[in-house]
Amino acid sequence: MENKLALNIIHRPELSPEYAERALGGKRDVRDESLDIFLFQQESAHECGLKTTIQITYASLFSDKIVEIAKEHHAQYGDEIGLSLLGLPCKQFKEKYKTEDFCIWMFDEETKKQIVDDCFGLFYEKFGFYPESTGSYFLDAFTIKYIKEKYPSVKCAVATCWEEGPKAYHTCNNSWYTFMDGGPWNPWIPSKVNSHCPASDANDDSGIVAIPHLSRDLMACFDGNGSNFGTHPQNVLRGMIYYEDEKGTEYPYLYNLIDQYRHLAKYNHGFCYNMVFVGPGWLNKAGRWESPYERLAKSYKDMMKYYGKLKQEGKCVDMTMSELADYYRETHPDYRRAECALWKDILYGSDKEYFWYADPNMRCCLDFNQGGAMIDLRPYVARVEQKTGIGTDNVYDASYPYLIQANYRAGYFTHYAGAGTVASCKIHYKGQTVDLCLTRTMATFQNEVNGVSVITNPVTVKIAGLEIVIRTTFMFEMYVSTLSLKNGETHPVGTLRITREILNDLHGEEVEIEEYFTGGFGTTEYQPDMTGVTLGAYRFVCDDNAENPLFPGHGVEKKEQSELQFSYKNRKIELGAGSSGGAYARIPDVNTEITLNGDEPDSCSVEEGIAFSPVYHLRVSKKLKGGEFRSWLSLRKAN
Amino acid sequence: MAQSTKGKLNYRCPECFKRDIDMDMFFDEAKNEYYCLRCCFHGSEDEVLKRYNIFKMKYGRLDERVVDFGADNEPPKFKKHEAGEQ
Repeated sequence: MENKLALNIIHRPELSPEYAERALGGKRDVRDESLDIFLFQQESAHECGLKTTIQITYASLFSDKIVEIAKEHHAQYGDEIGLSLLGLPCKQFKEKYKTEDFCIWMFDEETKKQIVDDCFGLFYEKFGFYPESTGSYFLDAFTIKYIKEKYPSVKCAVATCWEEGPKAYHTCNNSWYTFMDGGPWNPWIPSKVNSHCPASDANDDSGIVAIPHLSRDLMACFDGNGSNFGTHPQNVLRGMIYYEDEKGTEYPYLYNLIDQYRHLAKYNHGFCYNMVFVGPGWLNKAGRWESPYERLAKSYKDMMKYYGKLKQEGKCVDMTMSELADYYRETHPDYRRAECALWKDILYGSDKEYFWYADPNMRCCLDFNQGGAMIDLRPYVARVEQKTGIGTDNVYDASYPYLIQANYRAGYFTHYAGAGTVASCKIHYKGQTVDLCLTRTMATFQNEVNGVSVITNPVTVKIAGLEIVIRTTFMFEMYVSTLSLKNGETHPVGTLRITREILNDLHGEEVEIEEYFTGGFGTTEYQPDMTGVTLGAYRFVCDDNAENPLFPGHGVEKKEQSELQFSYKNRKIELGAGSSGGAYARIPDVNTEITLNGDEPDSCSVEEGIAFSPVYHLRVSKKLKGGEFRSWLSLRKAN
Repeated sequence: MAQSTKGKLNYRCPECFKRDIDMDMFFDEAKNEYYCLRCCFHGSEDEVLKRYNIFKMKYGRLDERVVDFGADNEPPKFKKHEAGEQ
């Protein structure tokens, strides 16, 4: 099974698909059309020898025909019959709930429970059993908990659309309110507290395995429109990633994308995964945007054909959702094992490379086209509770907060003034400075005893006639340093160790290496008020005059610390050399404390931003004539 | 003048598409052209299709197939995609 692509193909019969109703303008019967599309999708998979998960929608539970077809396909092909919480809108739903809302995570808590009971109850009535899988575009922790408590047979759910947030909203002319950035891109066991976060242990395990809605391009979706680059052939057509030749429409990118997901087995102990979940609206007979029905249908069949070919070659195993849940738990006995993806550009022709990392403490992305700069960071360790739906503070915004998001919040490049959120390194020499964000490189992945490392190809920085060759190692510590003692309690800590090595002879010249973290927090492009943030710097210095009771004759390490409360005044705290030291930000709004500390730093500083540039800066630096500078970026739950 | 309609296919505005906005266009029969509600783009079907082809030029690997993802620290290797092949 190792290195074989685990594949989920999910089809949902919608008798009133939200896209088709409007697209067809009421001119044709969407009920018949939707059934035809569902049958077409099922047939496309079955004729390639692939089984599916049929996610029955609320609307289709009122159709005896669909119920019968689902039972037949279960018996004949081994398809699983699951229950989707998508596809709620239909005459019966609208009459009962008196609403046009259709996203389960946006309802108030009582209505969520009522809808879940309604759907599961009706499902049981029709099929005589409760489903083992369910899902929506997003499933919040509250809904998962309720489902799991009342319907314990459920073990798998579609629980997020990876990086579908402000980008999807903008693409849809600011009309599509699916804000759910910040989750994992591959299956995970959701935390009981926030479904975006992978569970840290059995106590935090929500009881299900979650899967993302589509397997998305981890570079193209992050950089651009989130909806064009996934294992959804009509999304690929939507992005116009196809060309025509004499034989018809060709989309090699779709196959390249599937193959890159297969390649991720290399970084995940042989585990790799794909998910396909194309709603019927994407295959409607009137065509979808520029593509006529014939092209839409061909692309779906071609994708199934490719998965079928991989299966025949022994490179892919088709699974139902509940089978995937069992397989995932078998292959992931350790909650702390991270999901990793060293992802390459397969579309634009650049040499760009990202490293994505997700574990129970953090999700982050390093961009090697910017020397390994951190361009995305989500503090999972904070377990931000973040209830969603009517009656909460997040009626529609279910995105997990970031500390860094370089596309929403500028990153390295800003216009004239201010600073963007990014973590990188500056090299100073003779009054001049070079940021490693301007060094393009690639990296190598390595499994370590305590976690994983990514090591850059060396880069050469030229400053004032001096060449400095630098190699960086990013070491994500999954197992060591995961607990800290604070007031007698243990707190999980996510730690990234960064080592900057000088590889060449500087001929006695001294350079300063400054590690920095410029952060904010939020879920969109716009920074919430920062006055709740506390910034601080500290260092340990040896008091040689004090008597060390443990080591007579040695001094005592004393901690020096200073803090400020954020008030947009551009104030700075800077402390000099110490045996160790660092800078930190405590952000109650997202329950997070982030610390950047260094090994024998010459300086530790923290700086608040201004109203025009609402960010905070953490810095540690060291002067070197050779050797290396090590620093640690740590995340803790605050409050 | 009669109201505008959707065309035979839902063409999106090529200028808005360039900035990642999917904006359906409407068809003005009197002028025989598509136009955008959000920006000033207007043009014939030929003009729209021409602009789509220009847009696709950003996909440098549009017609290429990965043959090897290579070492971690190297770019993947590609070949020209053969029609009908997977």
